[in-house]
Amino acid sequence: MSREAENVLLLLVGVATAMITIGGAYTRYVKPSMLPWLAVTAAVVIALALISIATDIRRGSAAEDDHDGHPHHGSVAWMLIVPVVVLIFVTPPALRPQAVTPKVTAVSTEVLRRPFPALPAGRAPEVSIPDVMTRAAQDSAGTLDGRLITVIGFTLPQPGGVDLGRVVLICCAADAQLARVHLGGPAAAELATYPEQTWLTVEGVVLPGAADGDSTSIPTLRVAAATRIEAPANVYA
Amino acid sequence: MPLVVMTIIGFALLGGTLRAAVYDSTALSTAGTVFSGVFVQALPFLALGVLLSALIAVFVTPDRLSRWLPRRPSAAVLTAAVGGAALPGCECGSVPVARRLYGEGALGAAALTFMLAAPAINPVVVVSTVVAFPGEPRMVVGRVGASLLTAIVMGLAWSRWGRTDWITRRLPRARTGQGSNWQTFIEAARHDFIQAASYLVIGAAAAAALNVMVPDWVIEHLAGQLLLGVLVMALLAVVLALCSEADAFVAASLTMVPLVPRLVFLVVGPAIDVKLFAMQSGLFGRAFAVRFAPATFVVATAAATVVGLAILGGGG
Repeated sequence: MSREAENVLLLLVGVATAMITIGGAYTRYVKPSMLPWLAVTAAVVIALALISIATDIRRGSAAEDDHDGHPHHGSVAWMLIVPVVVLIFVTPPALRPQAVTPKVTAVSTEVLRRPFPALPAGRAPEVSIPDVMTRAAQDSAGTLDGRLITVIGFTLPQPGGVDLGRVVLICCAADAQLARVHLGGPAAAELATYPEQTWLTVEGVVLPGAADGDSTSIPTLRVAAATRIEAPANVYA
Repeated sequence: MPLVVMTIIGFALLGGTLRAAVYDSTALSTAGTVFSGVFVQALPFLALGVLLSALIAVFVTPDRLSRWLPRRPSAAVLTAAVGGAALPGCECGSVPVARRLYGEGALGAAALTFMLAAPAINPVVVVSTVVAFPGEPRMVVGRVGASLLTAIVMGLAWSRWGRTDWITRRLPRARTGQGSNWQTFIEAARHDFIQAASYLVIGAAAAAALNVMVPDWVIEHLAGQLLLGVLVMALLAVVLALCSEADAFVAASLTMVPLVPRLVFLVVGPAIDVKLFAMQSGLFGRAFAVRFAPATFVVATAAATVVGLAILGGGG
């Protein structure tokens, strides 16, 4: 592969990174907190490609380079076309819950029970599903007890009920986990009839009894009210 | 050059069809998303590593480096292992850096030790392990200890048995007489990025394919099976190719697996996985990678098991 072709691919990798960063698709693959690093990376790669192209042009002929002892990378640089095509033209969707393995909770049991900071003030503060699971299993201060909270997730119909789930990213899409709470109470019966992966905002109270320090038990939320919503911009918790 | 442009135009025209095919298939879209996840996550660390390796190409000549390092190979390896703590990032960045540091004799062993130690014991990884395993400081001690042990054993083994002629990939020579520091820097960064990123693509694709193919029950049947657990978790670390800053959280979530196999997972992953194997064969050469990678796998698994049994106990 010629130097110019390599430079073009380098430029395209930088452009692909810039496109998913600016367009927001990067939140399907990595944590939103990666934003500044991806922006810097895109700038660095694009600059590297442009400087290389400019240097080769100024030097007159890049062909000259082919004969001055530079080993070439052979055909492996063609591989760079894969992320360019995948990120720019395909832009794979966010993970679906059935794709998430292993299907376990995102909570560690090696945790001593400890008091958690109080929930935000307000009638029904929003708490993420992983946070609900952690607090239900490990909170010795009982911050969830009898408290109306708001959780956002998608429905996961189960035999004899329905769960509200959210895919959790730790670092990137390769390490995704599925966090879930059971939905209980009379209002949950109607939610169970919704198609799988209907996005909901649910207000409810976590039932006591789950707080036994065993993170494998999934807490149950007694539903007070539920509203169908559009999928949020960042689908991961 | 025209070929690249035509290929891109071809994919642009096919884009809609390709996209529909991926979105329609759960397996394909999961693989695509996992591939993008591994690649996009690694990219900033790769860029950091490449800038660092280009700086090394300009300022750290082999002469200068061997003057800084202790003369005796064992002392050089120890220094390099501890020095690994100074490169905060995950493993993708450390391969190009190690390739630039590599040299004859003690220098080679020290560079490889650095490559294995840096992704496992740097402050970012230690902190994320502490956060992932609250109330279990022995996991952190075990991870740092076993990773250092792996890096040192591999470094000493290289200085004893390693042969430089296995390293078939040559770096572009710095032009003598012409070109400024700036040009050397750009040329080194360009070369290392293209080389490392191309192999990162292969590794990320392998990780994505395996991620889709490893069935769930593999992990669910490991409770109370120490030896089987160690082996499965070591292999899982290789095929999942997680970032060393994230693997502690994944290990923490596998609550049905005893602690010792999970420690093995944390020690093997940053030392060797499918994407690192691809990157090593790209930057060092295949003859190197097919020897170094399996040896690293065995040493890391053994070191983590021994350290784990010593400080965590057999019950896990």
